[in-house]
Amino acid sequence: MSVAREEVLRIAALARLRLEDDALERMTVDLNSILEHVSVLETLDEASVATEGEPEPEPVASTRAGEGTDEGEPKLDPATFAPAWQDGFFVVPPPPGVVRAEGDGS
Amino acid sequence: MTVATALDRIREAEDGPEGLNAFISLAERPEPSGDGRTGPLDGVPVAVKDNIATLGLPTTCGSRLLEGYRSPFEATAVRKLRDAGALIVGKTNLDEFAMGSSTENSAYGPTLNPHDRTRVTGGSSGGSAAAVAAGYVPMALGSETGGSVRQPAAFCGVVGLKPTYGRVSRYGLVAFASSMDQIGAFGHTVADAARLLDVIQGHDPLDGTSVDAEPARLADAVERGVEGLVIGVPSEYLSDALAPGVRGLVDEALDRLAGKGAELREISLPHTRFAISTYYVIAPAEASSNLSRFDGVRYGRRHEGVDIAAMYEETRTRGFGREVQRRIMLGTFALSAGYYDQYYGRAQRARARIRGDFETVFADGVDALFTPTTPTTAFPIGERVDDPVEMYLSDVYTVTANLAGIPGLSVPIGALDGLPVGGQILAPWWKEETAVRVGGALEASGPWSRS
Repeated sequence: MSVAREEVLRIAALARLRLEDDALERMTVDLNSILEHVSVLETLDEASVATEGEPEPEPVASTRAGEGTDEGEPKLDPATFAPAWQDGFFVVPPPPGVVRAEGDGS
Repeated sequence: MTVATALDRIREAEDGPEGLNAFISLAERPEPSGDGRTGPLDGVPVAVKDNIATLGLPTTCGSRLLEGYRSPFEATAVRKLRDAGALIVGKTNLDEFAMGSSTENSAYGPTLNPHDRTRVTGGSSGGSAAAVAAGYVPMALGSETGGSVRQPAAFCGVVGLKPTYGRVSRYGLVAFASSMDQIGAFGHTVADAARLLDVIQGHDPLDGTSVDAEPARLADAVERGVEGLVIGVPSEYLSDALAPGVRGLVDEALDRLAGKGAELREISLPHTRFAISTYYVIAPAEASSNLSRFDGVRYGRRHEGVDIAAMYEETRTRGFGREVQRRIMLGTFALSAGYYDQYYGRAQRARARIRGDFETVFADGVDALFTPTTPTTAFPIGERVDDPVEMYLSDVYTVTANLAGIPGLSVPIGALDGLPVGGQILAPWWKEETAVRVGGALEASGPWSRS
């Protein structure tokens, strides 16, 4: 199958990326060339030697029960690596459509 | 040679006209964290791939988005290295977020192959491979998701070992595709890579996928020989894509193994032809989820927008390079409504069958498999950057081990026109020792053998 520019734009919005002009054109070409290669997966069922009782991917052995906390605690204050940090919070711009009030300290 | 001298020599070489761009950052004066007791890597300078969190040095993942980022914690593998007495000399260059097969996708420029500076090192751990090949360090940490240790090891003429999934803690390894990511070891020799893995392995409660397995004693296995081992040769890995010269060196290596008492057996892994497609659906799908955390809120460089949605988009569009954006797009597509079953669902079924192929041959009495690591030698810089599929095909022999979770080792088996060629040994889950035995036998019997 192939994807059109409009579909690529929809995916970009989901991925929170902006694609314009050349970048959109290039991405559309690249995705279509990769998807063409990946289309070999469509022949998986005919090619399979084991269609019945097919093994599902095994869940990864989990050892979460004993998960520790001591060494997982940050050793640096988030202020040292966050783009914006104030009074114990990450500071971000307002949600779409919301205008920040005058005098709002954030 | 003191570590200060080693660092001076690295700086001098890297700043000079023959610099390889192997490092993104270098330590000022590395200190071990041990308690003063003698450790197995006492005083050994070790380089660390820059997607592994290290205290005291930036962790950029080769990305503009994380330029200058300092992790507040340290990866378990790095802590174990320091506890063993190793000195972390610097952080090595890589394809951005480990996505690539040539180290050309780094925001800090490509690393050059020490054997031919017009050619790629392979990737994504190209900086670590080059640092070992150039003699800057005897060993280095890399990471693998689809061959990112073994492939650059082959291109740079060093040893690369990817352990069984779960053998080494992923705590502090910046996630790319969590069901396959694994820290691996580079060494000048099989023994060096084995020593490094012996130190960094082990169960870690800070990584939910770490397994409480019997520890491997790999350094002890290097000289154990291959007498009586059954070594399978998968016909699918000796396809038309293989450069004729590489095929000749693979045949020579097999002859040497047979001469050392191994029994060679032709075998088949029938689902191999689905491997690249499977990998390039599953890995981007996981990456699109893992990289959603890079949104300008908690860490990294933020690019402002009029509202939070615009800020996310601006930060990610300007922060991520072309290949990372391509994989996020591919993964988002494969997981999106309407396409999930067609791509991700099928790829998961193919992955189970690829794993099943290995289960079948190992259950049939095969102790290890021998294959080429890559179809060709290192290719010229720039040759494949505009052709993603061609670039992805350089991982054709390595991705299967990551999809199945088995260990793999690449060792030098010769050279073509001055460029190294690697041979790959694949072993059953938790049997790194068998891979190391085969690698040690090849090393000892090669025309360049030091033994």
